Amino acid sequence: MKKSILLALMCSGSTLCSLNAEAQDSVAAAPGIDQKITEYRPGSAHFMLAGLTTFGFVMEKNTTSSTVGGPSIITKNSSIGDADRYEFSPMFLWRQSDKVLLEFEPSYTGGNSLSVNWADVSYFLTPGCIIRAGYLVLPFGMYSKRLAAGWINKLTSDPIGMDMPGSDYGVEVEGGFPMGNMKWNYDIAVSNGFQMDSTGSISSVGITSPNLNKTICGRIGLLPHAGSNLEIGFSALGGNLYAPQNYNYGNPTLMMYAFDLSYYKKIGMFTLNLKGQYNVETVNKQSYLNPLDTTSHTATYTFNNTVTAGFGQLSVRPTGLENFVKNFELGYRYVVYNTPDASLWGQNWTENDICLNYWLSWRQVIKIGYENINNVVKDNPTVGITGSTTITSRFILQFSTQL
Amino acid sequence: MLRKKTTLMVIVALIGVGATIGCKESEAVKAKSGAQLWAENCQRCHNLPDPSTFSDEQWSILVMHMQTRALLTNNERDKIYTFMRQFNR
Repeated sequence: MKKSILLALMCSGSTLCSLNAEAQDSVAAAPGIDQKITEYRPGSAHFMLAGLTTFGFVMEKNTTSSTVGGPSIITKNSSIGDADRYEFSPMFLWRQSDKVLLEFEPSYTGGNSLSVNWADVSYFLTPGCIIRAGYLVLPFGMYSKRLAAGWINKLTSDPIGMDMPGSDYGVEVEGGFPMGNMKWNYDIAVSNGFQMDSTGSISSVGITSPNLNKTICGRIGLLPHAGSNLEIGFSALGGNLYAPQNYNYGNPTLMMYAFDLSYYKKIGMFTLNLKGQYNVETVNKQSYLNPLDTTSHTATYTFNNTVTAGFGQLSVRPTGLENFVKNFELGYRYVVYNTPDASLWGQNWTENDICLNYWLSWRQVIKIGYENINNVVKDNPTVGITGSTTITSRFILQFSTQL
Repeated sequence: MLRKKTTLMVIVALIGVGATIGCKESEAVKAKSGAQLWAENCQRCHNLPDPSTFSDEQWSILVMHMQTRALLTNNERDKIYTFMRQFNR
């Protein structure tokens, strides 16, 4: 028995010795590997997947009361995810060289279709000059381009009206420059533009522009503090609107302006974060086909086609603490959105939102939010609209992460 | 058409004026470290990113992407990238 054990140990020892010898052979080959490692270069072309996903649960109650009297209509619903609170948007980034970057972000927000947020190529021409072409987020205001991602947004939904002008097919030039202790930046784009339907409502014209006109859009930003914690922006957009000839519009044009502001400051143990944007969208005076004229289709009506949209938000986070409480952030937002009272789509929308965020990491957040919306539609007998007021109360639980 | 041309001219004029007078940084700004620029600029929109989240190659892509969003100057972009590479171990 002892002999057997001794024999087994000798065999094991012999095996180990041979393995060790092989290992030493490998070590002997190490200089070659070292050389390969030394010679390894990551190259200039890289690819990565980033993006974001947001998933939410919402409980909503709507109470609508009409100006003609009668009982209020109350509707309730709850859903696990909807277009505003569920999003899966992987962003494909190709760095072809230190001069060329390709960006593509498809987006799934429910249903059976995919949309695209942007698909463009950027060329870093000179310091302070980047040229971009493709389907791009138009440089108008701050929200769409910088703050809309769920893991960046301090609240649980996008403020209404900030989706205009959105994305379009075009060419863009942008850059940032120092200016003493300050900085400034510019962003200007030429794109296919917009179309107007028979009610005076605006939407993107798409990839094929049906006329020779192009829309020009731009933003100038100024960061007056040396610490870059304050940015003030002014945006403008101008262009002709496309509309089918049978609408009989007289050369419709669209002008948009926006002011935006971003500010953060550490005060004691708290970091305050302030964001805001105000948009004004105006179409020149037009006569619109009255939908009540169902026989001759020639009767018209007119209104001041001006839409205003704005939001202001403040969030506070105790970043100076050393325990888990520093991961909490409290946010409040006020939203206002007004469309022409005399149009078919007139409404006066005011919204108060509050949200408690818990940051799991710098790019993952759980949000508990409450939104209260007051939406007033005024009587408009010219086009057969009966006024109403709808009050919406919404509770939202949401998770969002950068991918 | 007139409004569109006016808008274009105003924007181009503002950019021209800015480019003419605004390409020189102060000595204090020039002396800023990558860490300081990372802390100042990332917080403009979102929380401070942890350098260890991504590799050198990934940061080389992301700083280009972020330059297009935050409109960083080239100097800021390069210093932030150097900082991210140093501290992503």
